Amino acid sequence: MALYQKTIENFETLLKCDIIDLNKLKTLAFNGCPAENGIRSLTWKILLNYLLLDRTKWETHLAKQRELYRGYIRDTIIKPGLTPTSHSDIVDHPLSSAPESSWTAYFKENEVLLQIDKDVRRLCPDLCFFQRKTDYPCAEIMKQETGFESLRKRIASTSLKVESQTQSRLTGRLEFLSNKTLSQKKNNSSNFTSDDGEYEILADGCEAHWEVVERILFVFSKLNSGQSYVQGMNEIIGPIYYTFATDPNIEWREYAEADTFYCFTNLMIHIRENFMKVYDNSEFGIRVRMQKYTMLLKQTAKDIYDLFEEQHLKPEFYAFRWLTLLLSQEFNLPDVLRIWDSLFADQEQNFQFLFYICCAMVILQRDQLLNETQAHNIKLLQSYPPDTDVHKILEKAVELKRMHVN
Amino acid sequence: MDYAYVFKYIIIGDINVGKSCLLLQFTDKRFQSAHDCTIGVEFGSRIVNVAEKGVKLQIWDTAGQEQFRSIIRSYYRGAAGALLVYDITKRTTFDHLTMWINDLRNYSTSNMVIVLIGNKCDLSDRREVQKEEGEAFARDHGLIFIETSAKTAVNVEDAFIKTAREICNKIDDGVFDLTNEMCGIKIHHKLPNENPNTRRNSNPNQTSGC
Repeated sequence: MALYQKTIENFETLLKCDIIDLNKLKTLAFNGCPAENGIRSLTWKILLNYLLLDRTKWETHLAKQRELYRGYIRDTIIKPGLTPTSHSDIVDHPLSSAPESSWTAYFKENEVLLQIDKDVRRLCPDLCFFQRKTDYPCAEIMKQETGFESLRKRIASTSLKVESQTQSRLTGRLEFLSNKTLSQKKNNSSNFTSDDGEYEILADGCEAHWEVVERILFVFSKLNSGQSYVQGMNEIIGPIYYTFATDPNIEWREYAEADTFYCFTNLMIHIRENFMKVYDNSEFGIRVRMQKYTMLLKQTAKDIYDLFEEQHLKPEFYAFRWLTLLLSQEFNLPDVLRIWDSLFADQEQNFQFLFYICCAMVILQRDQLLNETQAHNIKLLQSYPPDTDVHKILEKAVELKRMHVN
Repeated sequence: MDYAYVFKYIIIGDINVGKSCLLLQFTDKRFQSAHDCTIGVEFGSRIVNVAEKGVKLQIWDTAGQEQFRSIIRSYYRGAAGALLVYDITKRTTFDHLTMWINDLRNYSTSNMVIVLIGNKCDLSDRREVQKEEGEAFARDHGLIFIETSAKTAVNVEDAFIKTAREICNKIDDGVFDLTNEMCGIKIHHKLPNENPNTRRNSNPNQTSGC
């Protein structure tokens, strides 16, 4: 415990300096960031290149970035929401199939929005955090008049439109459905989740944490139209938002949304190739990353590598997800946060350390793997034993790295 | 339960058509709409009784997101059966079937049995694809056709078992070369005095008994 206190002190001393020593911070963070006093939250913001190393510049920098984010919200959500049907060009109409039609873009955006909605509603279902009300809903959106089309309304009307398209002949059906949906939502708001386990919508004026995450992803998808939203990004943004939105310091917690947006965007610069098929075969594409991992496995655990070759157990069957999602789907959230401390501290080398962690995970299951069939082994690697001590994995990974580098 | 064969299946189709839910309903007999998105592939298995034989189905459930498509192809190899799924309440998922069929033909084993599944048939009031259209598509492409609901479990069992039965018929007709493991079928050699302990300690290189 004394050691832990010492770690906290070391972090705090370092983080108080006017100019933060990045290398020292990386060394500390690599061994795990304490969640106490918002240390992890602050450290991640620095490691993810959001906060400058010069502390004296933070205030102006943060004010500028957060104002910029408010601008993104205005451009991507408020303005389109205030004039949802003001597509004045006569040639342009909802049934236009011309690719340049603003309606085509609008419908395409709705598709993306519905997908984000579906995915964030299933974010960490074992944790009630994301279903809870945030103390900091988006003020700009909350103050809009009733005619304003919020993302929440847009999602509701888009899903209803889909239902009504085939049912328009049955008069009254749409009204009936929307009333039913509304009353259901009211009834369930205290329970948070529906029968299916999906998150429910809170009363007007309140926002749940998953809705905040939804908004960040939507803004991100609109600002990065070439990449847009791809499944799995929800798993990447979740732990970051959780860390920032649970920061014990109110002045940080209040801006969790904007800060998450920037840190997520910066992280995506490093791992965007994982989510783009055009990069599959490029240097940083997922195929090449899987090859790199396989080569490392060959060097660190030849017996397992040989067995996998013989069993045709390819990295595509398990390591694809490990590498794409930075292991976020393999472990419980606290363990994911711990793993990411090390990853972000190592991020300059494009998450090289992730390969060592993956090899360590495989090696720690050596006895089972060597005695089992392909099917059993795939199952084991796809649902990695959740009770494995993540510190053991990281220790092993460090050991492998040391051996390998020497 | 004992079994004579192991068949490898893949489940493919557009995003959100219910692939993972079909697998969960078949292996665990439950429905869960809020599950993790499938990134890459997930694996499930169950032993069923087909033509008085036990058959172990090894099912590979794949990601539907378009960006992952080239990775998905690496899961096709060595599958004996494919469940090609669309959503009867979403026309575009039906429109993409030709693309999926072409993909299957290009990257999989030639004798693969394909069953076309129109899922979410419990939502018939939102139907955008008529049953007849599904039937016609299946007929034109030589596929088995069935409408299912992963939510209510309607026809889910049938979809998996019909595929297995068709594979069994093809085995009986001598269509498959069972010595080639890329056909997606393994014969399960029973060990003498088989019990869980002897199996665990058996030769790890053996491909049967999984």
